Amino acid sequence: MKLGLVVDLDTCVGCHACATACKQWNTSGTIGPLSDERPHGKDPSGSWLNRIHSYEVGDSPHSKTVNIPMSCMHCETADCVTVCPTGASYKREEDGIVLIDQDKCMGCNLCSWACPYGARELDPNSGTMKKCTLCVDRIYDEQLPEAERQPACVLTCPTSSRVFGDFDDPDSEVSRLTRERAGQQLMPELGYNPVNTYLPPRIPKQQDSMSVSPMQGVRQLVNRIINR
Amino acid sequence: MTQSQDLPQFEDHSKQEHRYSTCYMCACRCGIKVTIEDEKIRFVQGNPDHPVNKGVLCAKGNSAIMKQLSPAKLTQPLMRKPGTERGAGEFEPISWDAALDILTARLANIRATDPKKLAYFTGRDQMQALTGLWASQFGTINWAAHGGFCSVNMAAAGLYTMGHSFWEFGDPDWENTKYFMMWGVAEDHASNPIKLGLKRIKERGAKFVAVNPVRTGYQAIADEWIAITPGSDAMFALSMMQVLLREGLIDDEFLIRYTNGPQLVINNPGQQGDGLLLRDAKGNPQIWDQHTNSLQSALSPDVAPALIGEYEASCGTPVRTAFSILMEKYMAPEYAPEAAAKICGVDAGTIERIALEMAHVAFKETITIDTEWTDWAGRTQTQFIGRPVSMHAMRGISAHSNGFQTCRAIHLLQVVLGTIDCPGGHLAKPPFPKHIVPPIKPAKGNAPNTPLESAPLGFPNQPEDLVIDEHGKPRRIDKAYSWDAPIANHGLMHMVISNAVAGDPYRIDTLMLFMANMAWNSSMNTAQTMDMLRAKDDTGEYKIPFIVTCDAFHSETVNFSDLVLPDTTFLERYDTISMLDRPISEVDAACDSIRQPILALDRDVRSWQEVMVDLAGRLKFPAFTNDEGQPKFKDYEDFIINFERAPGIGFLAGWRGKNGDKSLRGEPNPNQWKAYIDNQCFFKFELEPNQRYMRHANKDYMELAKEAGWVGSTDQIVIEIYSETLQKFRLAGQGLYNGPQPTEEHHKERLKTYFDPLPFYYAPLEQQRTDAEKYPFYAVNQRPMFMYHSWDSQNSWLRQIMSQNYLYMHRSKGEALGIKDFGWAWVESHNGRIRAQVKLMEGVNPETVWTWNAIAKQQGTWGLSDDANESQQGFLMNHLINELLPGETEAGGHRMTNSDPVTGQAAWYDLRVKITPVGADETDLAEQNLTWPRFDKVKPLPSFTPASKMSSYSTHPNINISRGWRDIFSRGDK
Amino acid sequence: MHPAFSVLIFTVTSGAGYGLLAWLGAGQLLGFTQTLTVNQQIVIGLMAMVLVSIGLASSTMHLANPKNAWRSFSRFRTSWLSREAVFAILLYPVAGLYAAAIFWQWSGINILAGLSMILALVTLFTTSMIYASLKTIRQWNTPMVPALFMAYALISGGVLFLAVDAFFGTLKPQLQAVVMGLVVITLALKLVYFFWQGKPQGATIQTATGFSQASVRLLDAGHSAPTFLNREFGYQVAADQLLRLRVIMTLVTFIVPLALVYCVFGGLVGAELLGLAWLIMMAGLLLERWLFFAEARHVVRLYQGEQRT
Repeated sequence: MKLGLVVDLDTCVGCHACATACKQWNTSGTIGPLSDERPHGKDPSGSWLNRIHSYEVGDSPHSKTVNIPMSCMHCETADCVTVCPTGASYKREEDGIVLIDQDKCMGCNLCSWACPYGARELDPNSGTMKKCTLCVDRIYDEQLPEAERQPACVLTCPTSSRVFGDFDDPDSEVSRLTRERAGQQLMPELGYNPVNTYLPPRIPKQQDSMSVSPMQGVRQLVNRIINR
Repeated sequence: MTQSQDLPQFEDHSKQEHRYSTCYMCACRCGIKVTIEDEKIRFVQGNPDHPVNKGVLCAKGNSAIMKQLSPAKLTQPLMRKPGTERGAGEFEPISWDAALDILTARLANIRATDPKKLAYFTGRDQMQALTGLWASQFGTINWAAHGGFCSVNMAAAGLYTMGHSFWEFGDPDWENTKYFMMWGVAEDHASNPIKLGLKRIKERGAKFVAVNPVRTGYQAIADEWIAITPGSDAMFALSMMQVLLREGLIDDEFLIRYTNGPQLVINNPGQQGDGLLLRDAKGNPQIWDQHTNSLQSALSPDVAPALIGEYEASCGTPVRTAFSILMEKYMAPEYAPEAAAKICGVDAGTIERIALEMAHVAFKETITIDTEWTDWAGRTQTQFIGRPVSMHAMRGISAHSNGFQTCRAIHLLQVVLGTIDCPGGHLAKPPFPKHIVPPIKPAKGNAPNTPLESAPLGFPNQPEDLVIDEHGKPRRIDKAYSWDAPIANHGLMHMVISNAVAGDPYRIDTLMLFMANMAWNSSMNTAQTMDMLRAKDDTGEYKIPFIVTCDAFHSETVNFSDLVLPDTTFLERYDTISMLDRPISEVDAACDSIRQPILALDRDVRSWQEVMVDLAGRLKFPAFTNDEGQPKFKDYEDFIINFERAPGIGFLAGWRGKNGDKSLRGEPNPNQWKAYIDNQCFFKFELEPNQRYMRHANKDYMELAKEAGWVGSTDQIVIEIYSETLQKFRLAGQGLYNGPQPTEEHHKERLKTYFDPLPFYYAPLEQQRTDAEKYPFYAVNQRPMFMYHSWDSQNSWLRQIMSQNYLYMHRSKGEALGIKDFGWAWVESHNGRIRAQVKLMEGVNPETVWTWNAIAKQQGTWGLSDDANESQQGFLMNHLINELLPGETEAGGHRMTNSDPVTGQAAWYDLRVKITPVGADETDLAEQNLTWPRFDKVKPLPSFTPASKMSSYSTHPNINISRGWRDIFSRGDK
Repeated sequence: MHPAFSVLIFTVTSGAGYGLLAWLGAGQLLGFTQTLTVNQQIVIGLMAMVLVSIGLASSTMHLANPKNAWRSFSRFRTSWLSREAVFAILLYPVAGLYAAAIFWQWSGINILAGLSMILALVTLFTTSMIYASLKTIRQWNTPMVPALFMAYALISGGVLFLAVDAFFGTLKPQLQAVVMGLVVITLALKLVYFFWQGKPQGATIQTATGFSQASVRLLDAGHSAPTFLNREFGYQVAADQLLRLRVIMTLVTFIVPLALVYCVFGGLVGAELLGLAWLIMMAGLLLERWLFFAEARHVVRLYQGEQRT
């Protein structure tokens, strides 16, 4: 299996629901807690596994605002894993999820240096690195209702702009969407081969409009016999 | 996924429990499923079965844990320390018994003497049915919620046009619409329902047009963005109307059958009765019947009314159809696209194109649903015809002083295209639509120890309904329903403090505020409002003698209170989200819901509704007292079950009847709360397929609505493109009304000018009085999607997303002024100036600057540390806005309210400002990255515990997935 | 990249230590340590290992969870950091045996000297590869980085060797000439590196976001206060400041020490100034290392709004 996410940039409104759902689930999850430094003070800063950046593409007046949520891409060539000296970082053979064994991490930051996507953040309290687990503690939990065995971000996304699935299965929704909507990897030239793909904004279809009356002036509105 | 090998059991499900409730992180009221572990919250998620959010949840809902853990939670009742000044922040704890004794004594005295001396105003509440009932039983007309600075323009324009409206009373038909136009929707509004809807239309390939000066949030994903000039939307809408009329692209069948377009209007300029509908002896409006070529009742089914035409009434009075007036008005040159473009900043070609695109969708892409239904006259119809153009509009329309007419202009576009309550159009949500206008009149007077004769708020449809005294002076403290704001259906909360302090129209004794942050972001003119709250008269008495605040959190307003009653959080109490109130219904189902306590209380607080029921018993309100004079209801839960507004109609519509087997109407059910809890805390009554559309003229629906108490009769709801109600007020302004008329010139002028029975564009009032050359920029603000009002700066997760706001402006404008990205600038209006940090951007109307509202906090409040970004770098635009209009005073020496002249809606989007870079010689504070103005630090409350420097929340130690040594040593690169 | 002081100290100090040890081993093999007594050789070896140890100790200071530092030996197969740890530790017993061999004049001394030298150089190489292997930082992802790291170690170790040699009164002009030559070569390499670094190349905000056809600007980072990523990768120094520091660095690391060594070589000043030359060079190398981090621009910055790296 090659598990990962498809993110639909055509419909992401940048609401941050995925980010806080992630924070909420994972602070009590397998790599939790996700700590917050100065939670009510100056420059509050905690460890998050998913963040949303907003960009403006193009110049005014033709600019388009695009929201790009970023979390671990579970790369096939995961340098964050190869650089890890302790073996804390690893990519699961069975499903490709990149994880950090919290009991083995020494907090050297090197994996975060190796990650081009900013997916790894050092926890200010535990001193260990935190990252997206694809909610491995949800997706395999058979005591959860089947429909809820999804990453928390996917479960909560109000515009269903996040889809979770197996990229090895050509019939999965993630494979289908990537195929049909020309899903692309971010920064492919670095060669990490990220699993997550991003669906670019759709080109709006041309909307037909009524043709304008050839007559100059008002096209005559006349009373018709219409029963009330 | 099936169980992966070697994974530990991450969650001890045997220790976990699921409880359902309703979210209150904003006003959407999504269903939530809360996982509890050791009486702590493990996870809050959307309830997949819930009609509002269908399983999804926004950033706020997902951060509910951190609001529950806020250090700003109030913990006990507080009393201003005797001998200290109001606003000094010196409080001492007091017991609930003592607090309620003090309050009861004070209120009993007011009630026995002059009940209107209690002004009771509520903020972001969802229980106006109860607070309104309470005020009505108390006998004060001085009650309202926050709608006056939120959305009254939208509600009133909709209710006075088509009997429902945008926002809570209606929704686009997301499933069928093919063209969706969203006007001025701030990002915090209708959060999840809008997002769910946008996803539906995007995946179906419907076109999404966003009209908004700012391209963030929802507008980011629009197929077309119209960067309109703030406050000019009516010009855009009505210019499109001209294009439609010019091309004859109107739904005349719809107009004839369902609107007052063909009704005849008296055309007698300068005479009494001009502009009113021609009526027969029975009072029925008249039409010109093309079968008989005669005047007939407009309500008769057997006529073929002329939509266009001028006729003569039997007495010789000239009359013409309402639609003829409409055509004449909107074909005027001022609404031609080329002329409109100069006002609204949308080029003429775009105005033409959008109008013609909508017409194409309405008339060439029509959809039909083959369902038999019975129309108002009892005739069977074989299908619903859908004109799949839909719209939604909110704050960007509402918060202008031309918002009522602008919103009506948008509705008028929908009406001429025939897109009201039809498949693919704008649908009503039960209990809407209502008849126009709803038959509740605002209470006019009060008497000691006597409940009001009707609700404090209602729907005037003639000058006789105004709440004014025999001299024409306002009776309400906020001057709602006076000549200042005749159709102020939600009151004018933003005027209460200002008027009470000025003693205009009179002084009050006690101001009771519930969840309203009037000393900070909910008032225009914040600094002066603080001064007003502290103001004393010559005798040394506070001008507002007693201020009671009920809130769950340490807001800026708490600091200005004499008595502080601490509320619960939404996870700690019972609540109802009632159809008597702001409904959560869906377009195809009547819905209501409840909250249940998810967590046990850990401090000395009480839910406000519990306290209100308690006070109602102590004060012996008739509806709350039995024949022996004893309280009738044990508590809030008891009240909700047993109170009936009309026989069989109560706060909750589900599981009524003794056995809980009745819906919508039925006797009280003692087990109703349990029934709700057993059903995931919501009730959903689905309409039959034949009741789902054209409900204004749908007998199958109207009969149900009457049975449920939603409407008073099954008569057709005739959509009013022409508002006779407004014309009556206009006649009063012209001195041509046979009834109450204003005496002051400026009132006459306002009525004559703004009470046009057909919507029109006018420049917002403040802008009319502001020098556009001196103040070249429009200034607006909005809330981000992940925050709601002032609440979420105390939320340690949400404030990590944003703890500082910027002044956003167009890159070209900033660069021309010499302001760099993240540079500092002075922002100056007629009311004052602020200093703010600037962020340059592309996606904004170049003449507009904007910011995120209510990020800024006063130092010392909301549980934040003294150096928190919110109080150091955050800024409020409120300082630049005044609740009174700038410029000359009116006759009588008073300045007019900065509000919509029709509804009294606070006009806080009308602001114009000047921007100047902070000079090199005045960088002392800017160098330290501080905004201006600055305020004194608010003192900590007794027993306040500052937040820790590090927080690591979890409900259990993490169950780590341990990587084995074999794997560590054996794995290579892959 | 944020220049963590502990890492600057670590790489510069241990680099000098490894360099010194390499010179000692080379001296044994090439015979230029024959002028030194057993004790003097051991003192030099000890100095090298003290410098190395100071560096290594400093390196653990930047670990956020040092209790797991011992685990860093486990991923030798793929991690340059792990390899560095293994080689660094391996060097201690080897260096110890080398010291014993010097002390007792074992016959296998040449093997142990060679082994120590190689291990020192290999450890240096692994350290440099920690940086050079990162595709995320184009300023580091070049073979010039290991070459420079080795060169810095050899010149800082070399000048220190000369200083000690002089202290023991056995300063050799040939060695001085070799070290001066190395300094010149290192300087040349560094100048090539600066030139190469200035060429626009690598990922841009367009490739980072996938919008290659238009301008892309950050509107909102999604957090208003700095995060771990900002602190770690967002280090920002003004361009004119950087240029000034590069000039100072070049003077302090290369030109001044070179001039001092040359003056000693030419007999213009006393040989004791070689110690000063070394201290100045170490200060320069600390600045060089600071610049190495400060000028390194991680691709994550593209997501935070920078147009290119």
